[in-house]
Amino acid sequence: MATLLQTPRPGADADPAAPARTLRVRRHRRGDSAEGWDRYTAPVGPRTTVLDALTWVRAHLDASLNLRHSCLHASCGTCGMRVNGRDVLACVTRLEDLPPGEVSVEPLRNQPLVSDLVVDIESLYESLDGVRLPLVRTSEGAPGSTPAEGVGHLTRFEDCVECGLCVSACPIVASDPEYAGPAVLGAAWRLVAEPRDRDPEPAYALVDGEQGAWRCHLAFECNEVCPTDALPAEEIARLRGILLRHRVVRWLQRHARPEEVQP
Amino acid sequence: MSAGVTAKRGQVAREPDAATRGARARGDVGWGWAAQAATGAVVLVLVAVHMVAQHFILPEGLRDYAQVEAWLRQPIVAAVETVFLASVTAHALLGVRAVLLDLGPSPRVERALTAGLGVIGVATVLYGLWLTAVVTGLA
Amino acid sequence: MTPQTGRSAGPGVPRGDLPHRAGATGWFDTRHRHLGDWAFVVNRLSGLGLVAYLYLHLVILSQLARGPEAWGGFLAIATSPPVLLFDVLLLAGLLAHAFNGIRVTLLGLGLVASRQKALWVALMGMAVLIALAGASRILGVTS
Repeated sequence: MATLLQTPRPGADADPAAPARTLRVRRHRRGDSAEGWDRYTAPVGPRTTVLDALTWVRAHLDASLNLRHSCLHASCGTCGMRVNGRDVLACVTRLEDLPPGEVSVEPLRNQPLVSDLVVDIESLYESLDGVRLPLVRTSEGAPGSTPAEGVGHLTRFEDCVECGLCVSACPIVASDPEYAGPAVLGAAWRLVAEPRDRDPEPAYALVDGEQGAWRCHLAFECNEVCPTDALPAEEIARLRGILLRHRVVRWLQRHARPEEVQP
Repeated sequence: MSAGVTAKRGQVAREPDAATRGARARGDVGWGWAAQAATGAVVLVLVAVHMVAQHFILPEGLRDYAQVEAWLRQPIVAAVETVFLASVTAHALLGVRAVLLDLGPSPRVERALTAGLGVIGVATVLYGLWLTAVVTGLA
Repeated sequence: MTPQTGRSAGPGVPRGDLPHRAGATGWFDTRHRHLGDWAFVVNRLSGLGLVAYLYLHLVILSQLARGPEAWGGFLAIATSPPVLLFDVLLLAGLLAHAFNGIRVTLLGLGLVASRQKALWVALMGMAVLIALAGASRILGVTS
């Protein structure tokens, strides 16, 4: 790999007179012991996103640049990266919205790095699968139906795209990988708040455990970076209120006289 | 390392059987935070009392030796100051513990940490009692 | 094109993923962070500072055990301007930590989670007012 700083080649998708932006991209190849930065200059238009520029770089300047994306419209959650130090989805981050000058592009933090801008998000997927989020049926929100009270709040977490931005932003996951982290705890709040046909007890075991909601220090950074308004930090805070009530109820059940315990 | 973390985190969520839950319930499942909040509430009241009583009602801002002696000889003052020292020490050391837990120590190190900080806390309160006894002439 | 050193995976070089964590320095890295993170950072730093002060204070109080003269010596130092300035800083740290503690307790019990920024601004406002009043008292402006 090499440092490249060159004028973009005029092509089908590049007007030679068009303005260009320089991206400073963090590079790490599997097996390498060190990381480094490469600079690339890509042509930009009014709506060019960071992801557009990176795919242009891949096509025209450096095919070795590894990145991951799929849908291009913020619904697949695979193109999360740190742009100018902020955790964002690259597909909806426009270069024109960024301050002039070089744009730094780094992989997400707090998740194992696979290569360049690609992190291993597998453990997040596995943990989220373990929570088994119940889904509100589409028909419940269909025109003409009467949605149950608070369903809008519940469906918010169904919009989570599992991008891992919140994990990258969390200052506690930064120092302790064992902590369950914002995405999983937010999903668990959803299950515990309204379990539907699911058994919430496994989720209690996770979120009321040593690595659960009590580890949160309420920095609320996960809320700030969440691209889908799932707002994990708020739900972790609410979850702790629920856990507290749950514990009080369980304690009362254990210590109340037998005839007072509801079957 | 990452593979181990993956398996561990996945396992917690996938197999929350009785054994797993029992194992997880042994450690700190929020009591550290609850104790921190409770001692914090006590400290909040007593630190205000301490500041006003020690510094703000005196024109000079501090008591001389004779005044300190007379002050501490009042049983209610000695009692409140002892409760204040105990709660503020507990709050401080619980805070140190919370910070250190964020570094992800092993369960063994975590237990040693809790025990060590407990010893420091007890020693701190004993020192306060000894000092009070010396100043008031009880020791 | 310039070759870079240390970038090639030769034979015997382990294929590892970099853990890629900020570590404990991530606690205090407030670049591009928001109010909630500032609350966390202020609380943690002021807390660690106050723990250090608690033990400093207890060590200073040992002068009481050495009798009236030793205590009198401390009193002379305690009312000197640099120490009074330190007292102002201490009071500010104490108030920041106390009012952050109210935030942490309320949010940690699941209360006012959706208004956490307004809560923090209000609490810090109160802390600043009390700190200013205390500072003027300590520095003798109003006494």
